Amino acid sequence: MTDDRRIDGTLPVAFRYTPGLGNGAFFASLRDEGTFVGSRCSSCDVTYLPARVFCERCLAELRPDTTCGPGGTLTSWTTLHVDVDDEPLPAPERYGLVRLDGADTVLLHRLLPEDGWDPAIGDRVVPVLRSDREGRIGDLEGFSRAAG
Amino acid sequence: MVGAGMTRFVRRAQETGKELSAIAARAALESAGIGLDRVDAVCLGSAPDAFDGVHRKGDYLADGAGAWGKPFLRAYVGGGTGVFTPIQGWYTVASGMADVVLCVAEEKMSSCQPHPQGAFLTIFDNVIERPLGPNLLWIFALEMNRYMSTYGLDKRDIASVAVKNKRNAADHPAALLGQADITTDDVLASEVLAWPVQRLDVSPISDGAVALVLAAEDVAATLTDRPVWIQGVGWNLDTTYWTNRDLVYPEYVEHAARMAYDMAGVTEPRKQIHVAEPYDPFDYKELHHLEGLLLFDKGMAPEAARDGVTARDGDLPCCPSGGLLGVGNPIAAAGLMKIAELFWQLRGEAGARQVPGTPERGLAQAWGDLMQVGTVVVMGTDGGPATTATATTPPLAPTATSLSDPEFLTASGAVDTAFDGRYRWDPGAAAGAFLDGLREGRIRATTCSACGRILVPPRAFCERCFRPTDGWADVADTGSVETFSLCRITWDMRQLDDPEIPAVIRLDGTSEGGFLHLLGDVDPDDVRIGMRVEAVWRPEGEREGSILDIAHFRPAAQDAGP
Repeated sequence: MTDDRRIDGTLPVAFRYTPGLGNGAFFASLRDEGTFVGSRCSSCDVTYLPARVFCERCLAELRPDTTCGPGGTLTSWTTLHVDVDDEPLPAPERYGLVRLDGADTVLLHRLLPEDGWDPAIGDRVVPVLRSDREGRIGDLEGFSRAAG
Repeated sequence: MVGAGMTRFVRRAQETGKELSAIAARAALESAGIGLDRVDAVCLGSAPDAFDGVHRKGDYLADGAGAWGKPFLRAYVGGGTGVFTPIQGWYTVASGMADVVLCVAEEKMSSCQPHPQGAFLTIFDNVIERPLGPNLLWIFALEMNRYMSTYGLDKRDIASVAVKNKRNAADHPAALLGQADITTDDVLASEVLAWPVQRLDVSPISDGAVALVLAAEDVAATLTDRPVWIQGVGWNLDTTYWTNRDLVYPEYVEHAARMAYDMAGVTEPRKQIHVAEPYDPFDYKELHHLEGLLLFDKGMAPEAARDGVTARDGDLPCCPSGGLLGVGNPIAAAGLMKIAELFWQLRGEAGARQVPGTPERGLAQAWGDLMQVGTVVVMGTDGGPATTATATTPPLAPTATSLSDPEFLTASGAVDTAFDGRYRWDPGAAAGAFLDGLREGRIRATTCSACGRILVPPRAFCERCFRPTDGWADVADTGSVETFSLCRITWDMRQLDDPEIPAVIRLDGTSEGGFLHLLGDVDPDDVRIGMRVEAVWRPEGEREGSILDIAHFRPAAQDAGP
């Protein structure tokens, strides 16, 4: 009796997120130039990447004025073995936090598989860009270990 | 209050919610002449997460609201949130916890697809009401019809509120739907959505943000010679069993208003409130609320609106901003916009919107959740030097980047995602027994021996006595129509071929109020309030223990006419 009393239902919403002004400038330079544009707040001495239109510390108006990278440093990483439903992944996936040179903030992205690379905090990494870029975070395939 | 700022209200903003919040927060700080370093705490208001599509929206918005490294809390009381946010700010200052508080309210409803109403569907009881297919417009239409019918109101008088507010908004630089030449005929000729609600009776889906700066008395004196004081605050919630209430009068708004008036020392609100910003998501709601706020006698606000009493140059200017109907309705931001408008009005800075004379005290009110929340703030100049009442340039150059529908749909870098939220609700003990009764062809009520009420929908506790209900009673499957609507659209705004007829039905044998169901086997033109109806049960073998075991209600046999 209890089970067939249960009422099934949904919250029928989907979302369309606009990238906003800051991310929009970041994506445009990624797509068109293959570069990573951030924003610098000179009064707080902080460079944000991706670009932002406000400084979270002082609310000053910022512009997309500082190109960062392309090289960067791995500040942390993890290896995923299960998906969001707790099912095993076909192959483990690695994600890392990367501070691009010149930025004070980090980007979350994939670490591309590479035989013999056991990531370590402090590793130097480089971005791998897609050739058919559309102006979205997927234009960046991920990071690989820097040569040498 | 020492500063206020806002974005432009737009239908679809390119900016993210954080960016909108930052624009408004920065404008408010500039208006107050201070930097973020002077702010001790941040109070944020934002309505359901499901509008922006960001879970834990408060945390998400925090850095755009200037809360980095500061005490921060997001408050939420439905549509009442915008006017609650400064209440939260007020007690944060009045308690001595902070000298300067930044209040920010934000909403980005354009994110929600296909229509923000989807986010509202779960406000209805998932077990007793939602299988009937309700949408948000039902509750407004049902309330509006009850209000109109009880007092014999002319819809033309109600439509005059939409005209007034959209005309007022034509003078607001942030407005989405200002229209100087709109007429009552335009409103009455607009598409019927859920009778009596028509398209131009309703405020628009909007994106935007608003911010204020509040300061302790001694600090305010160092920041401005023209502070506006929060003199009284009040808020109040009624039960979510909304069909049990008489929808004709918002008692919870009266309770909230009395709380604020008492704190402010307002004993004769009709004389002592000089300008008001009642909550106007629908035109009739402004009138409904003006009565709950004790500013007009019950049933008399529509006539006053018609006669110009609430016009910008009337005896009691109401929504001189243009309100939600004209400026727009990014839910929480719209409520806080009303507070910002009072700030500008009381400082004589409202420019083309400035009400005449020297207003010394104003009131803002918002409303929300399931027809149950009233939030009220009374603000004034204490007769001090704030009231310069000179026509100055409005301290407002609102920005926000408005995207057209095609621009929105093709925006580079935009990301689409489905929420995919699926739930299985257990009805619980009382509603479960109610559903079992329906399977047997019985309508069962719980009873409270302390207050004597006989309750449908049944619940395990009496929300008034706050004790367990202590008995069961069967009530009749006949009753009378308390209110109804002819709804012509689905929740995602698709046209229905045949209108649905939702109704609140007062069952014989219950002590008060009614419950929600559909009418059928009746010509929509023949439905009227007070009509006697009876349940049409599904055949016994087809019942499932669901509210849909009653297929609908139809005119009772003895009421079928000659």
